[in-house]
Order: sequence, then structure tokens, then C-alpha cells
Amino acid sequence: MTKKSKGGKEDKTAIETTSKSVSGKSQKQKKPVEKEVEKELIEESGTDSDYDGDSLSGSLNSDDFDSDIFESEDDVTQGGTEEDGGDGESSQDELLDNEGSIDNEDGEDGSEQIDSDNNEEEDGSDEGSDRDEAVEESDSSEDEVAPRNTVGDVPLVWYKDEKHIGYDITGKKITKKERRDKLDSFLAAMDDSKNWRKINDDYNDEEVELTKEECKMVGRLLKGEAPHADFNQYADYVDWFKWPDAIHPLSSAPEPKRRFIPSIWEAKKVVKLVRAYRKGLIKFVKPEEEPQEGPVPYLLWEDASTSDQKNKHLTYIPPPKLKLPGHEESYNPSLEYIPTEEEKASYELMFEEDRPKLIPTRFTSLRSIPAYENALKESFERCLDLYLCPRIRKKRINIDPESLKPKLPSRKDLRPYPNSCYLEYKGHTGAVTSISTDSSGQWIASGSTDGSVRIWEVETGRCLKVWQFDEPIKFVAWNPLSSLPVLAIAMGRDLFFLNTELGNDEEQEVIKEMFHSENIPEPEASVAAIVTWLPDELYGGIKIRHFKNISSIDWHRKGDYLSTVMASGETRGVVLHQLSKKKTQRLPFKIRGLPVCTLFHPSLSYIFVATRKDVRVYNLLKTGLATKKLETGMREISSMAIHPGGDNLIVGSKEGKMCWFDMDLSSKPYKTLKNHPKDITNVAVHRSYPLFASCSEDSTAYVFHGKVYNDLNQNPLIVPLEILRGHSIKGGVLDCKFHPRQPWLFTAGADSIIKLYCH
Amino acid sequence: MDVDGEDVSRRLHVKFVTKLDSPFKVPVNSVAIPSNVTRLGLSSIVNSIIQSDNPEWKTEPFDFLIDGELIRMSLEEFLLAKGISAERTLEIEYIRAVTPRKEEEPSLHNDWVSAVNGSSPRFILTGCYDGLGRVWSSAGSCSHILEGHSGAISSVAVVNSKDAETVTVATASKDRTLRLFKFDADESVDSSTRVTAYKILRGHKASVQSVSAQKSGDMVCSSSWDCTINLWNTNQSTSEGESVPVKKRKGNNQADESQSEGEAVTTLVGHTQCVSSVVWPEHDVIYSASWDHSVRRWDVETGKDSLNLFCGKALNTVDVGGEGSALIAAGGSDPILRVWDPRKPGTSAPIFQFSSHSSWISACKWHRSSWYHLLSASYDGKIMLWDLRTAWPLSIIETHNDKVLSADWWKGENVISGGADSNLRISSGIAIS
Repeated sequence: MTKKSKGGKEDKTAIETTSKSVSGKSQKQKKPVEKEVEKELIEESGTDSDYDGDSLSGSLNSDDFDSDIFESEDDVTQGGTEEDGGDGESSQDELLDNEGSIDNEDGEDGSEQIDSDNNEEEDGSDEGSDRDEAVEESDSSEDEVAPRNTVGDVPLVWYKDEKHIGYDITGKKITKKERRDKLDSFLAAMDDSKNWRKINDDYNDEEVELTKEECKMVGRLLKGEAPHADFNQYADYVDWFKWPDAIHPLSSAPEPKRRFIPSIWEAKKVVKLVRAYRKGLIKFVKPEEEPQEGPVPYLLWEDASTSDQKNKHLTYIPPPKLKLPGHEESYNPSLEYIPTEEEKASYELMFEEDRPKLIPTRFTSLRSIPAYENALKESFERCLDLYLCPRIRKKRINIDPESLKPKLPSRKDLRPYPNSCYLEYKGHTGAVTSISTDSSGQWIASGSTDGSVRIWEVETGRCLKVWQFDEPIKFVAWNPLSSLPVLAIAMGRDLFFLNTELGNDEEQEVIKEMFHSENIPEPEASVAAIVTWLPDELYGGIKIRHFKNISSIDWHRKGDYLSTVMASGETRGVVLHQLSKKKTQRLPFKIRGLPVCTLFHPSLSYIFVATRKDVRVYNLLKTGLATKKLETGMREISSMAIHPGGDNLIVGSKEGKMCWFDMDLSSKPYKTLKNHPKDITNVAVHRSYPLFASCSEDSTAYVFHGKVYNDLNQNPLIVPLEILRGHSIKGGVLDCKFHPRQPWLFTAGADSIIKLYCH
Repeated sequence: MDVDGEDVSRRLHVKFVTKLDSPFKVPVNSVAIPSNVTRLGLSSIVNSIIQSDNPEWKTEPFDFLIDGELIRMSLEEFLLAKGISAERTLEIEYIRAVTPRKEEEPSLHNDWVSAVNGSSPRFILTGCYDGLGRVWSSAGSCSHILEGHSGAISSVAVVNSKDAETVTVATASKDRTLRLFKFDADESVDSSTRVTAYKILRGHKASVQSVSAQKSGDMVCSSSWDCTINLWNTNQSTSEGESVPVKKRKGNNQADESQSEGEAVTTLVGHTQCVSSVVWPEHDVIYSASWDHSVRRWDVETGKDSLNLFCGKALNTVDVGGEGSALIAAGGSDPILRVWDPRKPGTSAPIFQFSSHSSWISACKWHRSSWYHLLSASYDGKIMLWDLRTAWPLSIIETHNDKVLSADWWKGENVISGGADSNLRISSGIAIS
């Protein structure tokens, strides 16, 4: 520190400190305890002024520029302690005697000077007391008392076996004191009332008696307080500056330039560090601890599932857990565990598997336990087990079987549907082969193998009419028009149109006119070889004789056209009869394979022709190929039914399968239902309710819910609803038809009974 | 008391009261009876009490009521189920059991008997599948044969039986027509008289299912498979003057009769399926049941339906009666007889459901004077008598050996029924007080 530079700034700092000391004095009068602190602060402010001057001088003295610049930048506010460090003081000392060092060295002139300044206002007694305090404090510092022993900070064990414990300042050995025996020391301790204050100083090998103050200090330290009682660590903050008045900075010196420009040296240091990091000279992470040598300890009773054995093996199978040993396995169990002779005898009678593995026995001592007789045998068997029966991991599929079922709505929500039979229509003497309902739902017609066609009243089960023919009836079909109550009947090679006489008088007139025998025109040449129209003498109807046996008939929705199917290929298999003109025509296209049955589209001019394996859709207005081919994947189609919407077709097959075709969706079945163990004889779709049914030779009929949505994105919903039983086992159910308006199903059985299943 | 009296059953103190007249009366004393007796036990107790006073007493079945409910289990169970205390003296009212005591000779028809009507105490009217209506003055004696229909008769109704001499009846047939007949009911006959219709009502497009007459006898209504209900005038001379008098000679009855044709006055449209049954209980209210699962009440003046009860099943029969002649009973394509109370606001659920039958219900009729009793006939061949106060049938009449197609009360204490065994059966002696 150069005096010259200080002198340059002297008058100003003097003024500043004066003002501070004034405020300090006023504080002091209130709290005389804080003298020391205040003094410190005064001194610090002195050094502060000193520092300022120094920094200025630093800029002048270029020789210590390097070292100064960093420190000053860092510690502008911290005060002069660092600056003092620059004078060669050890940092260790700084911590201990901050004030002292200031007092002793640097503070000499500064404090003097300030004090001299203060003297102008303070009285001398005050100053003197300050001095005393400072001296006293430095006395109590442990540096002042030189230790007797000069060995330094070495472990005392080194001198354990020596007679001396070290050397004094003159180099002489300090011999150990004579050891008093315990009793003496105890008695001495009991006699001495101050014994509790005595501490044995091993280092100097002497007994030290603590003063009362020291004891108190220890007590305070134990309590975690400051060692000196008069030091208040929570002293009130003293604000030395009068902030509102200080419009000028403490120093009028302009801010040094170095405070505004980035530090070159710092940048250089950063670059160095960065390079070191890049080169890997400095590492971020600590190196891993070296693995322990020798066997790695592990938890013996650890749960196998948590151990990392699993991770080591690909398919680790934890060994079965053993039962922990109980009292009975002790070599000397309590008497109650030891079986009696009778029990032992009963063990002998047991099967070997059931016998207890261990019979508790008593031994007087552990030594008298014999070797385990089965040890060799069991270890052999264990090896055999491991060799012959390797444990395999059982892959248990943990799936709730309920969740595998498709989510279907409850049957209760899909009511009404036919479920119970209340009415039977009895009268036929042979198997009922075919039934058909009147469009109003008041009557049904049935045909039987006994050659009779009957009309029944649905409501009461009353047979209204009977027509008797010679041949077994193959098919009956009611005209779909309610104004034209005409029945079409197929038997053998003949097709009959019969007047049911159920219409009103005008309708009767129309039918009679239609059936008048003289109205039959000459057949066209193209169909003459296939069919002939004849009047029927027996019942006043019309008879159409075909060249082959008829297998199926179907009315067009308008009630004028009727298609008949014969087992013949190409264009002769299916013919269309027109009732009003009494004409017959072939289909305008060739059919591949033998047709099984045909079906008219419920609203458009399409016809579905089923051959044995697939269904083809033809447009009646166009000649040519089929517009669509539906591949059923079934061996032999037996029947077809179409949803009233016209886009969904149900096909039943002779292997008991039923296909639902969504013709908008694909030409493959939307759903295939395998429900019947025997041939499906017929399928039916309800006209207004979302119901469809199938009947089979296994004498059951199945009722399904089949809802078709208007939304094209939603697939039809198919839910099986009910299995209708009741017909006798022999022959099965040959036909089923829905009531046109009620959710009822008629089934015709080979047991010559027609049943009505109601909701 | 005996030793084992305690573990057999508890004893109840009861008092038998009745509204019946003198021979059935018992002294109003409290009697101790075992609590496990059933109706039969109670009946024998009452009979023995009466017999002790009157030695010539013939055993008579009784039915017992506690707080207006018929006992159909043991007394103990009944009290437990109803939560009635057995501490105090019970008052048990007894009535004569509602069950037929006598079975009349069956009256054989040529074909299924599809309709019976017993609204006139003087005769029984039946309709048959052979197209003939018959009038029976008593069991086995047919006084008149009503002929003319070409199809089976489906329903018959007595239009006017108030007049001393002539009685007007209406028949509905599956030949789509209705015919009105007039005859003298009191005419003493050895052989049956043949009667032809004085008026033919044409207008339905399909089978007529049911016919019912207004109380005054001026009009009849009919329901048909063409989903309509038609209203017709019954008077002989039509105001339009379009009657067609026809001279006809008929069988042994040599009288000449003029025959006129009538047209429907009003048509009530609303049902969407076959209207299977109509009743006309009040002057301008018609109830109808249909296969479209609904029961409707029509206002004759406006021709609109004022009530529409949805049932869920196709209905075959409907009748109105009971308390205040307001309860609707209907049966149909399931074995449950349902009773609705249309006066109950906010609900269309039936208040009673009787389900002892095992097949379709073909007919149900309220008793004409009792509020509680009704009968139902079913295709299972049984006729059941019901009391609203219990869920079990009072009595089951199993005289028919085929479907029962129609049944009715006659003279208050007889049940007449016709069925598919072509017989008219009369079960008499039913005591309804």
C-alpha cells in the first residue's frame, strides 16, 4: 500500500468516515455492548477508503496489475480483506484474526488516522476502552499460548511405548507423568470438588483445570451458541448510510473502464478450460468404483422373484419354495411332536407317498444324530429328476373366458321374437313339406306328402279347405297380392294354380275369369317343349305340366310372374310363368350348373339363382352374364331367403351351415353360421321385424335377430335368439315361414304337424 | 288341551262373519282354530258349525276373506305374508265359493262353436262354424236356428231383448257380412224354428271378427280383418230407401220375410291390423282390441280414439267391467290375462296379470254384477274364474276336450262356453253374491 496514493485521496475519505463515525457514535450510546463490532466497521470503512485509493493506484502501478485485476473485479464490495491478502498474509490467518491483522499491520496508520479524526468529536475515555477490549480479545486467542509439547499434530500412538510424550521448546524430552492407580485417582477425584472441571490433556500429558468462563463457553458451544457470551449473533442491522440523503455516490471517482469491458484474462481461462474438457484432461464424471474382488455376497433368503436370476437366464424357472423347518424337525423336539408307537405303526400301513417324510425323533445332543440314511439316494433321485424331467415353463394364458365371447346385446332387449308354441295345426296325414302364409296373415296354406293341400285359419287352427291330389305336394306358395288369393302348388312335374275362394266377390270374379279354361292361348314354340298349360278339371284351376320335376317355385312381388325351377341346365332350368297372359318364357340368359332355387329381388328386377355351390344375381331386363356371383363356400345350397331391404341374402346349405351375404359389402359371406347338425331345409326372413330363422332335419328351428342398419358403415347385427324344439325327432322340420305381420314363426314338421311359435 | 297341542301349531282366535242370509249364518262367537288350516279346513269348520244348528245341512264350499283378500294358503302363511297380527281376534268373512256346482248336458253343434252370448237371461245365443246361429232356451233345447251366412259365424250379439215378444240379435261371419235376426224368444217349440235375417250388413272387406250392440239396441258395431270398425243401424227400414225386399221361402217356417241390406254408418279407422274384438259398454264409447297389440277406446261421436293401451301381444278379446265398469280386461296370443285401469294416470301397465292358462286366451268376460269376478277361456281347453282379490283362479272348468273358443256368463250364475269340440257347455250353480 502506497502512502502517496492514499494521501491523494485523504481529505475526502476523512470526511466520509467522519460522517460515518458520527452515526456510529449515536448507535454506540444506545448499545455499548456492540463496541467491538462498530470499531470493526469503522476500521473496515477505513480500509474501504484505502481500497479505493489502492485501485486507483493499481491502475498507476502497472507492476502488480495482473494479480490485482481479477480480485478487484470479484470483490469490489467485500472490502479490503482480500487486498490485504495481496500483502502476503496467509489466508488461514485471515479467517482467524481478521481484525487483529488489520489492527496489527495495515490498520496501524488507518485506524490511527481515523481515531485521530474521531478524537475531534469523541472523548478519550471512550477510545481507551476500545483499545482494552481489542487487547483482551487478542489475548484469549489460542495462538498466544504456546503448547508445551512441540511434536506437532502427530498421532499420540507413536509415543505410546515411549517414556516421553514429546519435546519441549528447548528440545528436551517431556517425560510422561507417573500413572496413578485407579483407586487413587478415584479417591482424588472424589476429594477434589473441582474434579468435574478437570480435563486430561493427552497431548501435553497434563491435567488442565478449566476456568468457569471456559466451562460456560463449552456449555454454550454444546448448545450451539456463539462461544462468547457477549457476542450477539443476531445483532440488529445497523444501516450506516443515510440513504435518502445520499444523492451522490460514496466516491466521486468515475467507474473504471475495466468494469465495462469483458475481461480478456477470464476469456483466456475459459478457453483453457474448454480445451481441457475437450481433450479429456478434465473429466465430468467420477470414475466408477472398482468391482469388489472375491465372491459377491447375496441375500440368502431373498424372494426369488425379485432376484436378478431372472435377468441372467433367458427362461429362468424359480425353484419351488421349501417349507421352513418347524419344531418337529429339531433334533430334540418337544414331546408332543414325537409320534407314539401306534402312530408309527399306522404310518407303516400307509402308502409310501402318503407317509410323512420325516418322523420326529429325539436325540440327547447334536453329536448323537446319525448321518441321514437317504442322503445318497435322494441326491441320486434329484439328479435323475433334473436329467429326466426338466422343468418346463408352463405358459398359462390368463384370459377371462367371458372376454373372448363377442359382445352381443341381451336377448331380452331384442324382443319380440318367437319362443313358445301355443298353437298346432293338425290334420295332415303325411309330412308337411311346404307352408305359405297369406299376405294378410289370416290364413296359411300347407302341402303334404299325403297329397293334400290345406288352408288353415291362423287364429284358431281351424282347417278351412282341403284339396286332395294324387301326388305328394312339393311346394305351395300364396300369391303375394292380397287382392289375388291364388295358391300355386307344385307336385311332381305339375304346377297348379288354385282359387282359394277367400277373396271378396269382385276378386272371385277376376280369378274365375282368369282360370277360365278357354282363355289359355297357344304356347310359344320356344317353350312348347318345356311346358304345357292345361285346364285343371278337378278343382277348376290351371295346370302347367313341365318336362321335369319341379324343385322350387317363387312368386314375383307383383303377383303376376312365377318362376319354377327344374333340375336342368342352361336356359331350361328356370322358366317364368305369367299368370295374367298364361305365357311361359325362359330366362334370357344361360345358367351354369343345375339350379336349386330362385328368388326374386324384393324391389328391383333382379333374380337370384342358386346352383349347388354359389348364387348368381341376374338382371331380368338385360341379357347376358350374371351381375354378381356370391361364393358361399358351401357344398350344397338348399334354400335362400332375402331381407326385405334387398341387400342381404341368407343361404342355407345341406351341411347345416347358413350364410349371411351383405351384397353391398362383398361377394363373400358376411357371416357363416354353423348351427344345425343336419341339413338345413329352409331359411326365412321376417318382412318387418328384424328376424330370420332356419329349420333343419334335426327337428329344430333357430331364430336369429338380424338387424340391418341404414347406415352403410354399420354391419348387420346378427344375434342368435332361440332354438325352437317341439317337432318329433323323425324327419325334422321341413319348412318354416314367418307370419307377415306378427313376430311369429310357422314350422312344418315331418310329423305332419304345423306349429306356430309366438312371442 | 292335549300335550302335543303346542308343537302342532299355534292357535288363533277367529270370528266368522258373513253377509249371506239365514241358512248360511253362524253365531258370531270367537273360535280358536289351529293356525295351519287352509281354505278347506276353514270351510269344514264353518260347515260343521252350521250343521250343529241345522242337522239337515248339506256341505257347502266356502271361500274366506281377511281384510278383503281371499285366503289361498294356510292361515298362518297368509297372516305372515300380509303382516297381520295374530294376537287379536281375527274377523274372517266367508262367502260361498265361486265354483260351478252342476254341469248341464252338452248341446251338440254340427261344427265348432265359435261364439256364445248369454247377455239375455231368456236364451243362449251361439254361433257355429257351419254358418248357423242357434238360440238355446236351455241346455239341449234349440229353439231357433239363424241361417243365411255362407261362412263361419265368428261372433254373435244380442241387440235388443227388452221387448216382450221379439228379440233382435246380430251375427258376424267370416263371409264379410253381418246379419240381423228377429225372433220370438218365448215361443214354445218342440223343434227348432229356422229364422232368416231381416237385414244384411255389407261393407267389410274381410272377415268380420266381432260384433257388439249398443245398450239401447239402435246400433251395432263390428270389427274386421280389414283393420276397421264399422257402426251400423239396426232399424228395419233404412232411411235411404235402398232396402231390397226379397221374397223368400224358408224351410218349415212358411212365413214370408223381407230382407234389406244396410251400409255402415261410420267407420272407425286407426288400427293397423285385424281388429279382433269390440265391446260397446256405454252409449258412445267403444273399446276394441287388435292384433296390432293395442287396446283402443273410441269416442263414437267424434270417431277418434281417446285411449290407446299398448300391450305387446296380439289381442283376441277385450271386455270392460269391474269397478265402475272401467277396468279393461284383455287376452291374446299369450297365456296371460291382463287387466288395466285406464283411470290410473301416467301408466299403461296392467294392474293385474293372471297367468294360469297354458295357451292363447280366446275370451274374457266380466261378471255383469260383481266388481271382482271375471272369466277367461283359453285354447288349452280350460275356463278359469278369477277374482281380483287373489292371483289364483277361483275355479277351473275343464269340461271341454279341445280349444275353448268362446265363453260368457249367463243369468249371473252360469258359465256358458263353446269350443272346438262342437259343444255348448253350461256350468251352473256359481254363487256370486
